[in-house]
Amino acid sequence: MKGYSRAFWGAVCCVAILIAAQWAGTALADETKLEAVPDKTALSPDLIKNPVQFKAAGFGPQEIVMVEMVLPPNVKIKTIPEGEKVGLAFGKTDDKGNLETKMAPTATLNWFFQVGWTPEGQPNLKEAKPLPPGKYEIHATGMTSGKTAKGALEIVAPPPKKE
Amino acid sequence: MKCRCLRWTLAMFAMFALCLALHPGAAEAKDNQVSFLDLSDFTGPVAGLALPNSIGIEDYLKDINAAGGVEGVKINYIGVDTRYDVARALSAFKSYARDPSVVAMEIVSTPLGKMLEALMRGQKFVCMVPGDGEFQAHIGNFFPWGPTYQDAFAATVDWIMDDWKKKGKTGSPSVAVLSWDNAYGREMLRGGKEYAEKKGLKVLPSELFPTGTLKYDVYLTRLEKAGVNYVYVGGVDPTQTNIMRDASRLGLTKNIQFISDYWGPSSLGISLHPEALEGMVIVSYFLRGPEAQNHPLLKRLWTTYRKEPPEKMNEAYGMGVGVGIALVAAIKDAAKRVGPDKVTREEVYKSNENITGLSREGIVGPCAYSPTSRRGSEVVKFYKVTGGKILPVTDWIKTPDAVSLHKW
Repeated sequence: MKGYSRAFWGAVCCVAILIAAQWAGTALADETKLEAVPDKTALSPDLIKNPVQFKAAGFGPQEIVMVEMVLPPNVKIKTIPEGEKVGLAFGKTDDKGNLETKMAPTATLNWFFQVGWTPEGQPNLKEAKPLPPGKYEIHATGMTSGKTAKGALEIVAPPPKKE
Repeated sequence: MKCRCLRWTLAMFAMFALCLALHPGAAEAKDNQVSFLDLSDFTGPVAGLALPNSIGIEDYLKDINAAGGVEGVKINYIGVDTRYDVARALSAFKSYARDPSVVAMEIVSTPLGKMLEALMRGQKFVCMVPGDGEFQAHIGNFFPWGPTYQDAFAATVDWIMDDWKKKGKTGSPSVAVLSWDNAYGREMLRGGKEYAEKKGLKVLPSELFPTGTLKYDVYLTRLEKAGVNYVYVGGVDPTQTNIMRDASRLGLTKNIQFISDYWGPSSLGISLHPEALEGMVIVSYFLRGPEAQNHPLLKRLWTTYRKEPPEKMNEAYGMGVGVGIALVAAIKDAAKRVGPDKVTREEVYKSNENITGLSREGIVGPCAYSPTSRRGSEVVKFYKVTGGKILPVTDWIKTPDAVSLHKW
């Protein structure tokens, strides 16, 4: 150890600092974000007209990004096999890799309300089994870059009916 | 000694891993089994036809496997219910298509197809799709089940011109599209409109409505006011049936001829509103009505695997069997060329371009897939609802090429 000069250790430190800076820069550039808007919602028919939206950032330009919900073990959704995530929305990012998308009426009906469907192709609300209140983890995945982001969406109990 | 043994073991293990890495095909076709991924709608607004289509594929593959598979390869059917939701279908694609044993897939949604096209560009992966003409214009992974939507529309234009003459009418008839407000609802006019105008038909502005619409009075009334003679109706059964229910109630079926595209009245619609459907014409690339229910292969498969009388069969079952026949032929061709243990999605893709002219026992016209064609077939038949039954009014007719008329 004694054989190495101060100049050598100085150079090693400089290189280490440069590598660290490079890594930090990349990490910052790669930072992805996902948020649900609003991040708390009660399940009501208004969600068909004003659906939950998602904002994400940090993905590739013009990339298709998929937003999925992670189902806790105690929550089952019609037709979704155990262990699978449920797709809520998707969209294409802008040139800066930002995404704004919203749930389609079919997604709201199928996955939030879990409606049935009549032979005439209409949603059957009598068979609905709304998703239980709780905080759900949501993921966004870039379908080309493979980049991911995590966020949360809270389903709250509907307000009590006024008498 | 121990050290040398360990080195040998490690070397052998490394060689084995290297062999696997260099021959991915061998690893992909486990026990000579490959998989077919079906992203379909077993429930939801298009399940009326999508479900029987999927069970047609599943039953045909069951039948092939029961007979030992094809060239020693068994085909595993993976059906995913996407409930007419593109987000779910895309999510399922992300999960299931990673499995290299999946050598081909099917989707039932035009908007999803347009989304997946961007994701699968550059891959060699057969994806069978409904009828989007864009996939004929830009040759790639997507193989429509039959003639494209615009080709079927063009064949209908020819039928309309004949019908107009037969009725002794002069001048040019007018036609309008009444369909879903999405990529599918607009697709038939991308080339179809050019063909109609070339033939002297007046194409009135389309009336497009959201999926799940309950009443069609407003769209129908607007079309009547525009002076339409023929209405080309899109959607998936029972959409067309419900439109006819409203058109009949408004008294519009007396003076306007309604024609459905492929996905219109089937045994489902007939069971709901048979009287309203009376007189509706359907353009179809697969057998319909009693022709389908009495077809020997379809009847055998249906009664064997569904254990129900043929009258309960929805004709989309035959459409699915047609998809199954093409898939099995492509896998057979691939297995013959490269061996049953090397059937990969790339090989199935090559073979799918190699099954030109394949017969599907008259359920669907001869296969037209080739290196330059993505059309599943090039013939359609016209049917008419008569006395509560869907009966043929023409033989198979070659479809014009309307895709090439559009500027893509």
